[in-house]
Order: sequence, then structure tokens, then C-alpha cells
Amino acid sequence: MPSADEQFAGLRKGLLEFAILAIVSGRTVYVGDILAALAPTPFTTQEGTLYPLLSKLRREELVDYQWVESGQGPPRKYYQITEKGAERLTELTEYWRRLSTTLDELQAGR
Amino acid sequence: MERVITINLNGNPYQLEEPAYDALRAYVGRAEAALADNPDKAEIVRDLEQAIADKCAAYLNPGKSVVSAEEMSTVIGEMGPVEAEANGDAPRGESASDDGPNKRLYRIRDGAWIAGICTGLAAYLNVDVAIVRLIAVILGFITGGWLLLIYLIAMFIIPSAQTSEEWAAAHGLPFNTQEVIERAKREYARVSEDISRDFRSSWRSQRRAWREQSHAWRRSFANWDHGGGAAAPPAKPAGYVTRVFAGIGAVAFSLITAALLIAFLLAFFTFIDTGAILGWTPPGDVPGWLVLVVIAIAYAAISAPFSALRRASYATVSGHYQGHGADGLIVLAIIVAAAWFTWAYIPEGRELLEQAFAVLAHFVTYMRNLN
Repeated sequence: MPSADEQFAGLRKGLLEFAILAIVSGRTVYVGDILAALAPTPFTTQEGTLYPLLSKLRREELVDYQWVESGQGPPRKYYQITEKGAERLTELTEYWRRLSTTLDELQAGR
Repeated sequence: MERVITINLNGNPYQLEEPAYDALRAYVGRAEAALADNPDKAEIVRDLEQAIADKCAAYLNPGKSVVSAEEMSTVIGEMGPVEAEANGDAPRGESASDDGPNKRLYRIRDGAWIAGICTGLAAYLNVDVAIVRLIAVILGFITGGWLLLIYLIAMFIIPSAQTSEEWAAAHGLPFNTQEVIERAKREYARVSEDISRDFRSSWRSQRRAWREQSHAWRRSFANWDHGGGAAAPPAKPAGYVTRVFAGIGAVAFSLITAALLIAFLLAFFTFIDTGAILGWTPPGDVPGWLVLVVIAIAYAAISAPFSALRRASYATVSGHYQGHGADGLIVLAIIVAAAWFTWAYIPEGRELLEQAFAVLAHFVTYMRNLN
């Protein structure tokens, strides 16, 4: 039997977008911050996955970025959520709550 | 002793051991292949290069200026593989489809004897082209030349495969951008072997060369139907159905313009010969040259829109927009064929054609008399 980690690999992958929207909502972050925020969680990921995903979210106008000069090295892209992205996040959050509540209720045997 | 290679990562110079350079190049190559369909490919690759550069910088200090192979392999391990988007909802062209190969009948000019109908049929039916040609020749004899006419019509109605997607569809092969990229890369690897020594000092220029090579390769592949079509605009060819209709239009408008030209020639020369147009004699006080000018203007006005439609149809069929005069030649061919048909099968027409020489002689005398 696969471990829970393996069992939900696909689920985590699908939810990564949701997790990123959650991170960029309310604050402006650069890719290093996103990776650091995800690292201790089950959603831990790498640049190779994150950059294509951020580019897709930007194309869908859910996030946007601006260049910010950094103390050392070249300027960095700082990402923030857009209005459309915030709406999407609310929608996903509500759906996720419904899933989660359903599972709780099933377990409680009601 | 390791060779050290200086590269340019997103604008900053870095020195790498040769195996580190090879590993990095392989990683970026895989990333580019994975992102081949991605409209933001260039930007993502730049971001990835920047991230690699940042990670490399962490290993460097004033006393250490070269990134080792182990360090590069750690960096690449941290970066993780670049994945194409799982739910490929990137905008796609009309010909791209995920529902497997979309087999369609195209003319294939590669290895064609005439217009590529037999090669196209062979690819479509997945049989050897020699068999198709043999059957075509036998059918040609049995039907007494009618197959030739069908062939001529099919030449216009069946679009020729102009892009690599269409070429793949003609063979019923799944068209996969990554496969095409791989082919381009193999091609490049072969070409670059001879010159790699000089190129290696600059990774960026090599990548640029790769890109140009791959573009040139794809361009030449997309344009092979055009002969040397360097001047052709890089326009996307029209869709299959559009081109079928354009092919029917090309045949129809060619026939119409040919008929109009024949009618014009008949009117022009019968007027010179008999002084009447289709049984109608112009009033005596109108000079003959004016009647001829009016006939010519009327012909030009009536035929111009049909000619324009004909040229537009040909342009759509052939996929290039500069006139090559081929459509005009085809109209002439239709007229010659009509003349031959008249000669062979219609006795009155035969008489008319036999008189044509006399009519022309008459025309020459008429012109002389005008002066």
C-alpha cells in the first residue's frame, strides 16, 4: 500500500497553485520567500516547478510581479496577488472547506 | 587538471569546470524542451538561469572563483526538474490537438513526380508510393485520360502539406513539438561538432546559434513547398477546409476567366471579321475602333473581379502571396485545352478555328487601314 505521502502526490500538485495564491495574498514576496514558506510544509517544491507555475498564474492574471532592486545582486521579481487572483483564492478556499467538512462529517458517521 | 569555462548567466559572468558546464547546459536544454509549448518559455528560462546564478554565487568568494562539478550538481538538484504544465491550457494553434494523430490527405511535394498527389495518397494509405503510381498509370490507361483530368483538379483541391504539423498529419503521425525540437537538436549537434572548439568559450553565443539553427531548420521545413521561399512572409497557412474551398474556387474562377477571355476574343475578332457582335450590328455612325475599345473595357471590367478572386484562391492554395504567374498560365492552358477539344469534337468550332488564321490576317489589314 502506498504511503499517504505517495497517495496524495497528485492532490498536492493540484493544490500547489492554491498554496501559492495563499502565500502571495496580503504580502509581496519573491521566489525565495515562496520556497522558504513552502519548505517546512508538505507542499515543499523547487524552482524548476515554481517558475513555470508562477508564469502560468501570471498569464491567467491571478498574480502579477514588479521588479525590485535588491541590496546585492540583480533586481528581483516580487510577486503579489491580483484582484482576480483574490477572487479565485476565495473560490478555492470555499470549495476546500466544503471538501474538508464533508470528510469530517463522513468520519463522524452522520 | 580541469578546463574552466566562462559563461554568461543572465548578464553575469561565471566560471565553471567543464563537467559543471556540461551538466548546466544539459539542464537548460531539458528545461527548454519541457517548455517548448510555453508562450513564456524565454522568460522562464531567464528566471531559471538567474536562480542558478544566485545559487552558484553562494559557493563563490574572493578566494574561490570557479564552480565545481559537485557544486553544480547540488545546484541543479536543488532546482529540480522543469515540468511542462500538467493541465496544458496554454494557447494552442488550430492544428495542435491532444486527441491523437489527425490523419488528413495532403499533397506531399517531397519526392513528388508531379504535384505530390501519389506521395500524399501513399502516406495517407500507408502503402508504397510505387504501388500508388502503378495503379494510377493503369487507371489512366483504362479510363482513357479521364484520370489525368481528375489529377489536375485534385492538384488544386488537395492542399499541400506546408508545415511540419501538416506533414505529420499527412502521415498520421502524432505531432509532438518536443520530438521536433529533439530532431532539431540532433541536427544541431551534428553541425556543431566541427566547430564546437571555437564556440565553447561562450555559452550564450552557442545558444544563440542553436536557436538560429533551429529556427532556420524549422523555417526551411515550413517553406519547403515554396522552392527558395526566403521572401515569403512567415504567414500561417490557411486551415485545411479553407484550402479545399480555395482549391475549388481556383478551378472555378480559372474556368470562368478562361471562358470570359474566349468570349472576348470571339467578340473582338468576329466584329473585325463581320462587323457584328453576336449578331448585333452597332449603328453605322459609331467608328469601328471605338467599338473595339468598348469591348476591351467591358471585358476588363467583367473579368477583373473574377481574376482577383482567382488570384486570391491560388494564393490561399499555394500559401504564398506573390503572384508567380502560374494562375495565368493555367488559364492559357485551359484555353488551349478548350481549343483542342473544339477542334477535335465540334465541327463548327473546327471551321471557326480554321478561319482563325483568315480572321487574324483580316485584323492585320484592318489595323493597317486605320493608319
